[in-house]
Amino acid sequence: MKAIKGVLFTCDAAVKQILLSMNEKNSFIIEDLDDYHVVIKADEEWRIRTELENELEKNTYNLEA
Amino acid sequence: MATKRVATGAPDGSFPFKKRRKNAGDDEDYMQIDDDDEWTPGGPSGSRATTIKVSALARKVAQSKRTKDGVEDGDESALTSRRRQEDDLVSHIFMDHDFAWLHLKQDHAARPLWISPEDGHIILEAFSPIAEQAQDFLVAISEPVSRPAFIHEYKLTSYSLYAAVSVGLQTEDIIEVLNRLSKVPVPEKIVEFIHERTLSYGKVKLVLKHNKYYVESSHPETLQYLLKDTMIREARVHSQQVDNSIKAATFTTSKAPVKGNLVIPGTSEAGKKKDDGMPGKNPASNPAGSKDAELFTSVVGVDGDEVDEDDDNVHAFEIDDTKVDEVKKRCSDLQYPMLEEYDFRNDTVNANLDIDLKPSTVIRPYQETSLSKMFGNGRARSGIIVLPCGAGKTLVGITAACTIKKSCLVLCTSSVSVMQWRQQFIQWSNVTDKQIAVFTADQKEKFAGDSGIVVSTYSMVANTHNRSHESKKMMEFLTSREWGFILLDEVHVVPAAMFRRVVTTIKAHSKLGLTATLVREDDKIADLNYMIGPKLYEANWMDLAAKGHIANVQCAEVWCPMAPEFYREYLREQSRKRNLLYCMNPRKFQACQFLIKYHEDRGDKIIVFSDNVFALEAYARKLGKLYIHGGTSQVERMRILQNFQHNPAVNTIFLSKVGDTSIDLPEATCLIQISSHFGSRRQEAQRLGRILRAKRRNDEGFNAFFYSLVSKDTQEMYYSTKRQQFLIDQGYAFKVITHLDGLEDLPELVYKSRDEQIELLMSVQQANETDADLGTDIRAGEGDLPGTITSKDFGANKFPAVDRTTGSLSALSGGQHMSYIEQNKSANKKLARESAPTRHKLFSKRDKDVATARKEARAAGRG
Repeated sequence: MKAIKGVLFTCDAAVKQILLSMNEKNSFIIEDLDDYHVVIKADEEWRIRTELENELEKNTYNLEA
Repeated sequence: MATKRVATGAPDGSFPFKKRRKNAGDDEDYMQIDDDDEWTPGGPSGSRATTIKVSALARKVAQSKRTKDGVEDGDESALTSRRRQEDDLVSHIFMDHDFAWLHLKQDHAARPLWISPEDGHIILEAFSPIAEQAQDFLVAISEPVSRPAFIHEYKLTSYSLYAAVSVGLQTEDIIEVLNRLSKVPVPEKIVEFIHERTLSYGKVKLVLKHNKYYVESSHPETLQYLLKDTMIREARVHSQQVDNSIKAATFTTSKAPVKGNLVIPGTSEAGKKKDDGMPGKNPASNPAGSKDAELFTSVVGVDGDEVDEDDDNVHAFEIDDTKVDEVKKRCSDLQYPMLEEYDFRNDTVNANLDIDLKPSTVIRPYQETSLSKMFGNGRARSGIIVLPCGAGKTLVGITAACTIKKSCLVLCTSSVSVMQWRQQFIQWSNVTDKQIAVFTADQKEKFAGDSGIVVSTYSMVANTHNRSHESKKMMEFLTSREWGFILLDEVHVVPAAMFRRVVTTIKAHSKLGLTATLVREDDKIADLNYMIGPKLYEANWMDLAAKGHIANVQCAEVWCPMAPEFYREYLREQSRKRNLLYCMNPRKFQACQFLIKYHEDRGDKIIVFSDNVFALEAYARKLGKLYIHGGTSQVERMRILQNFQHNPAVNTIFLSKVGDTSIDLPEATCLIQISSHFGSRRQEAQRLGRILRAKRRNDEGFNAFFYSLVSKDTQEMYYSTKRQQFLIDQGYAFKVITHLDGLEDLPELVYKSRDEQIELLMSVQQANETDADLGTDIRAGEGDLPGTITSKDFGANKFPAVDRTTGSLSALSGGQHMSYIEQNKSANKKLARESAPTRHKLFSKRDKDVATARKEARAAGRG
């Protein structure tokens, strides 16, 4: 019996698509539940969060930029 | 999206502070405004300030202060200790923007300005009772950075001070007025800056009088300084006694120019004022820049004769015509840039043009103000006037031309606007057909008589190669003569190099640039200052809207979540087709459908803009609306526009980029953007201008609506925010709509099911990569300014790519059970069919009879 510690990730549909595309490069999704929920590996959580943040930040306009 | 910088709320108190977070120093201002309610508890600034919330921290400080208020109100020492306490709480946040050390004046609550000692930024409390006067003054001396409802930000720059001097303000007065309006003493650094910039700027004027060039100045020592330069000395023409030691006495001295009897037509004064003698007879009562002097006295109570005392006499020396350019350049090098003024009333060499505004034409107050800046001292100054779209820039230009009454050259960006200018001239003034000529690729006319008006485009005039014989002749005509006045429409779009060519080839006495958006995506604004002149006037959009000159607009950004399938493709796609994916987002279709339905029910006329032609057609067909793009024939365009204007059943049209510049758009009251040109602030402002001129704007509670549909989590979000910056700085607030109430319940909602969405996705994927390009449908004609019509690919003829497929002939003709069906028919075609004239039976019978008669006659002739 093999157990992996997972985290339930709740997100909107678009973010899930980003997660899926990230998953193609570097697999971390344990279970794809539905449009709004995925279970991911617990130890990957912070890396995923920062990467996601960077990805979303690309679409934000800053006055200073 | 917490990092998004747009205020998401309604334009209430929270909105004006959107800049505050960025500029920490400003927050400190706020903190001190809070102090005001101790001094004047009921005062306008105090009561307002307490309602504004910047951050939890600010609130905390304010609260702790207010609780103490009851006990020690007005106690100086208690106040200072409290302030120190506040400083400790907040000052570390601001770091080097902490200006707590600035000393506040005793009666600072009554003064509306904050001046930052660091960068020359000026913050105006627009809610102050004297804000309006202060605003007039600030517009004259500084550049407006951002003007939302309650707090305005201005910036002192070299050019703005240059402009201030050019409209007749004096260094000492600027500092004096600033000091009176400011809550803190004007910082040393700023005083120094103003001195430095204004002492040399605008002191020397280049005047063309009786067709001789004079270098003019009210400061003889300046002229002496200039004459020490060998080059300038050589250029000087000695008309009177020659004196080796140059004294002030050798200059021609004359009275300062006065506004005197110059009446700008169309103003209220025009009716009353009669010509009362020669200019210059009443200098004492009416010194130069009297308008501004009056303004100052009303603001600060400076005596009129204190102002401009040394402006009574001007000194001048004549210079050689041929060396004007060299002298101008030399003066700039010597830090004495010359102002150009045109004494058109004393110009006897160039023939007068007998035009006037029609008696029925009345210009609006702000148009009058802008023109009074131009003609402030009875001469025509060169410069730029900035007015919002739809606020009557054309009329300002026409009025200026009617004031100068000399030959006039009007340059605009496209041949469509050439025709518009011509038509407007005829509409507003009594110019005759013979006096106004058009020079475009198709028409090359000259006016009859000695003087007249020519309307042309920048590129027709600036083009240096490949001219037809006719245009060559026309150019000779243009360059061979002296123009009294040159009007430059949409100055912000013209490339600097082209501009220089225009300005140098055409000899004009005065230049006026008109624009709505003095922003360039390439930051070449500074060039305009040098080539045309300083900015003379910039209107406040919000003010004009409040006074009913332009419509009130509700701006909204509608966030449409990407359908998951589309977003997956979006993430995979790296090419240009990305933008097609976010345009064609089915949720966007739905939002668009919903908004159209909602506004049509309200009785609005709606224009939907899409830069992407593929998306435009897909939307219009799916929603069954009329559309116009570059490929639409002229006849069809006219038919559609006419229906849109007059047919109550047609309330919505879809327009591609052609709507930006190439067609004369009818007015609308609601505007929806589904795809736009990346982050172009200018396009956004121009599109908004389409609804600003709505005629119904004066109805009670009337609002025009401006929607941008944006696909969430895509690049479009970035562009959309960037595009809005200009309008936000003008004081517009964009509401963000994340959910349209009732969208799901809309009957006949398009792309409701997943299958339909996937089908749509398939069609997008099959589209060519070129379909993703923006504005591909329009080609600039000869003479249209590149870049104003399309962003790329202008000139070259492009044909739609041909689809080639293989198949057997029998299959294509239906042999293998293949059948054709036309889906989503274009509404345009239906309209064409309906409007096709069905002839009355009587006439068709007569036609038939005529035809048979002719046939018989022919048969008889042969036989």
